[in-house]
Amino acid sequence: MAWGDLVQRFFGTRGSKDEAKGRLQIVLAYDRLGLSADQMEALRRDIMETINRHVAIDTERVKIDFLQQHPAAVMIEAPVRAKRTSGEEGKPTEEAKQETKQEEKQEVTTS
Amino acid sequence: MGGRAIVVTSGKGGVGKTTSTANIGLGLARRGQKVALVDADIGLRNLDIIMGLENRIVYHLVDVVRGRCQVRQALVKDKRFPQLSMLPASQVDQKESITPDEMKAVVAQLKEDFDYVLIDCPAGIEQGFRNAVAGADEGIVITTPDVSPVRDADRVIGLLQSSLGEPQLIINRMSTDMVKRGDMLNQQDVLDILAVRLLGIVPEDDEVVVAGNRGSPVILNEQSRSGKAFDRIVRRILGEEVPIPELNGHGGIMHRLGKLFFRR
Repeated sequence: MAWGDLVQRFFGTRGSKDEAKGRLQIVLAYDRLGLSADQMEALRRDIMETINRHVAIDTERVKIDFLQQHPAAVMIEAPVRAKRTSGEEGKPTEEAKQETKQEEKQEVTTS
Repeated sequence: MGGRAIVVTSGKGGVGKTTSTANIGLGLARRGQKVALVDADIGLRNLDIIMGLENRIVYHLVDVVRGRCQVRQALVKDKRFPQLSMLPASQVDQKESITPDEMKAVVAQLKEDFDYVLIDCPAGIEQGFRNAVAGADEGIVITTPDVSPVRDADRVIGLLQSSLGEPQLIINRMSTDMVKRGDMLNQQDVLDILAVRLLGIVPEDDEVVVAGNRGSPVILNEQSRSGKAFDRIVRRILGEEVPIPELNGHGGIMHRLGKLFFRR
């Protein structure tokens, strides 16, 4: 962040360039892939389901980004859920893991 | 086959392709290089008027391709720098009147006699673009720090990468004041978005209009900021290490401190 941005933030006025940058980054992500918003959502759903099949992830916090490069690259940030039982004595049981998975799957289908 | 053929392109029109081609060409010639400028914008020729050579055209690119004349006959020699020549576009033909292969042949012939062949590409990404790119070895993409030119530049960069490899970027018409106010994408913003190598930044400068009026490209005006910027670009093309001054308007110690502590 440039110093000027900070000053602007301090005084509560922000230039329009951040908006330009944000909008461009989104529009270019679509341009580069040639995907529509619907297709993007489908991609997101499929990715989450696939990962969830193996590792329980926090579906609320899944982020799919496009690296600003040519050719475009997809970067997926999928935070793995903290194993609920790991804090207690003993290792996570197979059932507990299974439970999380089930729960996640539901979230995925409803999202 | 010693010469380097460089296409100057942008996607979006009106961002300074022709101005950049003219200035880089003159700058290279002034630094002793043999340079041929090719106006590939068939039907909308403009390089001639920017260069101040509009009254000396006899033959043009399409004449050469059709075999109505030799390349040498169509080349207009610049009296300011005899090692600089321009191959004008036709004003009456269409982009489709030549093919990429024909263009390639013309450029290949020019490369035998010149150190640099600069091809001024038409706006758009259709046939005219394909023709202009066909003969080139490398590409320079021009953009201004505005949303639509940057978006179009991204498209063109993608297209060039598949044919010529990584192009270099010139950001034209950068306004220090607007960058300072946070109302214009700065150098880093544009590079974050486009992820290409930066060849140079040209500041917004009224002198470019004056230069156009006179047919005397701004690089010939040693006092002008934009002329100096173009000359730095020329030196970088020639392989010199010339730092790119940040036109962010706040390059002082506080700026650097801010960057240090608040880097995202």
